[in-house]
Amino acid sequence: MSWRHPLRVVGALVRLNVAEELQYRANFIASLLGTLFWIGTALLTLGLFFRHTTTLGGWQFWEVVVLLGVFNTVSGVIEAVLRPGIGQLASEVRSGDLDLVLARPVDAQLLVSFRQIDLWRFTDVVLGLSLAGYALVRLDRTPTALQIAAFLVALAAAVLVVYAIWVALMSLAFWFVSVENLSVLFDALYEGARYPVSAYPGALRFVFVYLVPIAWTTTIPASALTGRLGPAIALGAAAVGALAFLITRALWRLALRRYTGASG
Amino acid sequence: MSPVAVWTRRYGAMIRNAWLVDLQYRASIVLWVLWGVTEPVIALGIWWAIAGDGAVGGYARDDFARYFFGVMLVNALTIAWDSWQLDRWIREGDLNYRLARPLNPLHESLADNLAYKVRGAGTILVVWLAAASVWPAVRLPFDPTRWAWVALAVALAAAMRFFISYTTGLLAFWTTRATAIMELHAGVGMFLAGRVAPLALLPPVVASVAQLLWFPYMLAFPVELLTGASLTSDKLLRGFAGQIVWLVIWIAAYRLAWRRGLQRYGAVGG
Repeated sequence: MSWRHPLRVVGALVRLNVAEELQYRANFIASLLGTLFWIGTALLTLGLFFRHTTTLGGWQFWEVVVLLGVFNTVSGVIEAVLRPGIGQLASEVRSGDLDLVLARPVDAQLLVSFRQIDLWRFTDVVLGLSLAGYALVRLDRTPTALQIAAFLVALAAAVLVVYAIWVALMSLAFWFVSVENLSVLFDALYEGARYPVSAYPGALRFVFVYLVPIAWTTTIPASALTGRLGPAIALGAAAVGALAFLITRALWRLALRRYTGASG
Repeated sequence: MSPVAVWTRRYGAMIRNAWLVDLQYRASIVLWVLWGVTEPVIALGIWWAIAGDGAVGGYARDDFARYFFGVMLVNALTIAWDSWQLDRWIREGDLNYRLARPLNPLHESLADNLAYKVRGAGTILVVWLAAASVWPAVRLPFDPTRWAWVALAVALAAAMRFFISYTTGLLAFWTTRATAIMELHAGVGMFLAGRVAPLALLPPVVASVAQLLWFPYMLAFPVELLTGASLTSDKLLRGFAGQIVWLVIWIAAYRLAWRRGLQRYGAVGG
């Protein structure tokens, strides 16, 4: 199997999904309105906090808005790819539908991760990046090419980290079959990524940096973009992302070994 | 049998049934508890940082801690997932056989609702007691009179939220986006019901608009009663009056939506 094979599989899956989603254009409007409403409430919440303070964990208002843009970007990837793909794993383990995936001559983790893509939610990525860009303008800061590169690396690492968290969560279904709605757990925890991690009291900060490393998904990329952290942080982020990916790969193999399927 | 005995038996059976179904998914309890705890904990974390060693709008760190523990508990006691359930019943046709029963489906929803509330609030109470044993800030003074008022306010808030959620779910007779409307309602409620912050910290204009709507009576009013608002008769009177007025309005809305919706539903099916 050459290295191009997995890429071709992903390419074919994406094409299929695009063709399918283009039939449901009303979903585009609904998803767009939903995101705008969400960004609106997030900004109002921030505004409320900043009525009573001038900095949050040492961050100014517009710096936190940059972070909010990053949050929305990562959420867009989650809603477009992770929730419809890997997010269905728990119910398939329970029903035994996973057999159909395993029977195919493609890497199962790849297929599970990319077979369903909710195209319209990529608008969240565009809106998120625009929000971050607008906030940068309000901050009157033009990032250097190096800062943008560091941001992109940190953002890619962020996607790997959330992917790893989803795989880890969904793998729980192999052990506790009766857990119904594992994605709720992610939604609950990910709320914490909406604010800079330095704003939280020590115990929460520890949880968000080390235990459920969501700080790496928003605080770090936003810091790289605003220049709060030097470009070298991108190397750290890349290492964390790579580590997260390797762990999920190992976890996936371990989980599959436990799976016997409904029919087997 | 007297009507009271009949209804007690009916509800007893339905609640037991709902409880047993829930028990099959014991591990999900952990999920729902975490879900109910993280949002107030994150809000508390942020206000904790903002308050620092001083006070914001009369709230110091300890007051915020009590307030958000109150939000956690009152929310668990008043939560209503009925619009999701009803939306599914209507869209997938599960409502049909429920309509054939000699009992309004509302009663089944209410029984389900009570069953998961006992479970959710029970676990939150354990969380609170555990926290209170090590953290004096979240302990409440022993005050039975206050607790009696709180119990009444929570019951009325729960009834309101049930009818709001149920009525919004009934919109599924007309639209496929009933649950999106409910989420919109929850988004507005973040501010107006006091989930992100005590109402006293909202901009005065927003706070006074909130007083004209049903939101503060769903959550903020019982939470403030529980966590130490002064019990002036004026405040109690206005709070309970607001709860009762809005409860009546939402029950009327439910009756209207149910009658009109069923006519429409019959037309599609028949």
